[in-house]
Amino acid sequence: MKKFNPIGCEGHLEAEAARLSAPTRRGLLLGAGFSLAAWAGRNSALADLAIAGKDKDKPHDVLVTIFLRGGADGLNAVVPYAEDAYYRNRPNLSIAGPKDLRTGVSSRIVDLNGFFGFHPALSPLISAYREGKLAIVHACGSQDSTRSHFEAMAAIERGLAAEGPGPASGWIARHLASTERSDDSPLRAVAFGGTLPDSLHGASNTVALESLTDFKLETPDYKRLHFEAALRDLYGPGTDEVTHAGRETLAVLESLRKIDPAQYRPSHGAVYPDTDLGRGLRQTACLIRADLGLEVAALDRGGWDTHFVQGSTVGILSLSLDDLGRSLAAFYSDMGGEMAHVTVVVMTEFGRRVAENSSLGTDHGRASFMFVMGGSALGGHIYGKWPGIEDHQLDQTGDLRVTTDYRDVLCEVLAKRMRNDRLSAVFQNFDPKPVGVVA
Amino acid sequence: MDFSRRDCVRLGLLGGAVTALGGCAHLANRFAEHHDDASLPSGDVDATSRLVNRLTFGPRPGDVAEVKSAGRTAYVDRLLDPDESEDLRLQFLLGRLDVFQTSSFESQDIPERVVLRQLQQSAILRATYGKHQLRERLVDFWTNHFNIYSRKGLSAYRKAADESTVIRKHAMDTFPKLLTASAHSPAMLMYLDNQGNVLGRPNENYAREIMELHTMGVKSGYTQKDVQEVARCFTGWTIEKRFLHARWAFRFDESLHDNGAKTVLGHSMPAGGGEKDADRVLQILGQHPATARFISKKLCAYFLGEAGEKWVDRTAQTYNQTGGDIRAMLRPILLSQELTDSPPILKRPFDYLVSALRALDADTDGGAAIQEHLAKMGEPLYEWPMPDGYPSRTSAWTGTMLPRWNFVYALSAGEIGGTHVDWGGLQHGHDAEKMFELTHARRTSASDKLLVDKVAKEFKTGDDGVAGAGFLCLAAPSFQWR
Repeated sequence: MKKFNPIGCEGHLEAEAARLSAPTRRGLLLGAGFSLAAWAGRNSALADLAIAGKDKDKPHDVLVTIFLRGGADGLNAVVPYAEDAYYRNRPNLSIAGPKDLRTGVSSRIVDLNGFFGFHPALSPLISAYREGKLAIVHACGSQDSTRSHFEAMAAIERGLAAEGPGPASGWIARHLASTERSDDSPLRAVAFGGTLPDSLHGASNTVALESLTDFKLETPDYKRLHFEAALRDLYGPGTDEVTHAGRETLAVLESLRKIDPAQYRPSHGAVYPDTDLGRGLRQTACLIRADLGLEVAALDRGGWDTHFVQGSTVGILSLSLDDLGRSLAAFYSDMGGEMAHVTVVVMTEFGRRVAENSSLGTDHGRASFMFVMGGSALGGHIYGKWPGIEDHQLDQTGDLRVTTDYRDVLCEVLAKRMRNDRLSAVFQNFDPKPVGVVA
Repeated sequence: MDFSRRDCVRLGLLGGAVTALGGCAHLANRFAEHHDDASLPSGDVDATSRLVNRLTFGPRPGDVAEVKSAGRTAYVDRLLDPDESEDLRLQFLLGRLDVFQTSSFESQDIPERVVLRQLQQSAILRATYGKHQLRERLVDFWTNHFNIYSRKGLSAYRKAADESTVIRKHAMDTFPKLLTASAHSPAMLMYLDNQGNVLGRPNENYAREIMELHTMGVKSGYTQKDVQEVARCFTGWTIEKRFLHARWAFRFDESLHDNGAKTVLGHSMPAGGGEKDADRVLQILGQHPATARFISKKLCAYFLGEAGEKWVDRTAQTYNQTGGDIRAMLRPILLSQELTDSPPILKRPFDYLVSALRALDADTDGGAAIQEHLAKMGEPLYEWPMPDGYPSRTSAWTGTMLPRWNFVYALSAGEIGGTHVDWGGLQHGHDAEKMFELTHARRTSASDKLLVDKVAKEFKTGDDGVAGAGFLCLAAPSFQWR
């Protein structure tokens, strides 16, 4: 068993690309020895995933997506601290290595596998990682190289290689449509916030909400059912988006009447941060526990566009990572054993330039990271092929190359955890390659 | 699987999913071809009511009759040529907002939440009472186009000046003047980080967004290299921080500027250009055909919705001929048949809120209580974090129907502090037809029968019948569109 195999740190990119396309996990798994038997002899990952998706009788997970908007810096979140180039390119923004005695332990990287380590603000996640419930994919992203937030976000939310022609609907919406059943809940998907994200564009049985406790028609109690009935009539006819949304809202009102979210108390002493993300995950946990048939919760966390004073262990990025780490850790602890039926995916539109800029920040780059957390995550490992960050290993602009397509990860989650056997309806013209992040 | 026709329509909209769903595919494809018919409501439209709905934040009682007698051309020309006068009530209410009475720097003594509240208050008051409604609509348009997130750093303290000296001042001017003002705006210099863009390794944030979002639009011909060159041009464009100088004013700091030669979009710029480097960039961008097209496309969509597409070429041509004269570009759009004939446009929460206030001629202070409703509906002004502004696509807003209903109920029932509807003074006469006409600024037609019947029943429910009737009219699907 190799202790550590940073494939790609040397060698030519063409050769790496060839290796990447080979249907084996060998080159894909970083920093761990692992059984390769499961994938031996398989020619098409799609066929493989289709088989996984066929287990439709088994219950599917609840999928929780967290989109880090603005382009989260994978290089300072899951730090390749063993790379000299990291410290050379980031004289002000880099974080001290795990064994750097010049600084206190709380300001050092938390080692993951001898090559990568967490930003100290992510240390609340170390137990999930060590318990094997948090998998990390590095150097991943879309094929969109515009470095535009809006193009890159649209590409990912629409489920495309890059922004351009293709279905207007979102990938989560197509997943829901392709797994539709007659007994679906009126609340199949929820977004926390004031608007619906593009990933849910076209989805039915979906609402956006800020707060579960506020989700009721605020009329006098004795008139509530009367007005709901009137609205049901007014929104009854019509095939446009608004009447459709009105009908769904009324169905969700009906459904949420069965629960009392104000009474929700997290289990196992979990304490969620009082932030949008913390509150969103707390309410997600409440909805999952209420067993209303929720399938997907889509959350956003903005503030990752750190051109200016991103900082190292102190600064904007550190605060954002702290929120992410503590919110996820609280959710993980709250759900406890029920995590067995939950999969959380954390993603972002792109990573950031390897070299820092003159205002203690970083500009738009290419590859970043993804987290997959859940009872069925094959965690404790960092997946993907590390392309390296020496100058000759970067792309023309000086950015980390994308070696894992974000759709590879999502396909695996949809097929294996969400029991979707129609991946081609979700991600068109895409042949997923195995990553191996979930069982 | 059992599919209703409705399901198929929806799946048709999903496009890609259709092929996977065998039996329904044929039907769904058929509906998909009629995407417009299926996704937008039909219903009778009174041309004048539509006109007023699109050019203003919604008709007040009597507005439509007034426009009918003045004639469309005269009305459009009056809106295109606002004078200095303003509604007296508005002037009085605005005069009480400290944040517009002090300089950005001095306003730091006011807590941030108060600054933000007053900014939103001013926007709600101006949209509701402003005499020059087309200008108010354009202020909304440009505020989102040159979006600034007020919770980033100290942006809130600089947004008031940006609102009055950039957005409002140039809302109906030429686009290049508006762009140049925005580039010098301390709020923008802070929001898109140009104040930290200095010689060495430039900060690309503003350089990218000025091309992608403010002028040319993405994939319109610029490259990553252009982004980096434009960033170099803007190095040293920062904010005054020196003692005994006008704090927070724009300042060019030569010592932070990269004075080397540059090439932007094929234009070579010799070394030693100093502050003029970025002036030249603004000039190149302001005259670029891609800018003409991008701005035209957005303006057309704002006023014409889906029908805007066929007006883009003509509007871009006007941009090129007039140096981006916003009024010249707008006039034909506002007089077009598409404006009154084409499918409706969903009101965003701010539009919805203000149109309800105007329809009922409500008194409002625009304060914290009504702002809370706006936030719940999803559009707390100046709080969209990304530089692209609040979304205009319908699907972004369909998840938040409930807060819309809750707002119009609270409004009708008199439960919003600082906002009041004088039902007694409104000419509805407890008559369902008249209540409909009051709120919708048009006569009822066959498709409105369901609503009118409900409202008629509501009037019979007792003392709070008026509130219920008003609520139903404003909560109905037909009031969600303009």
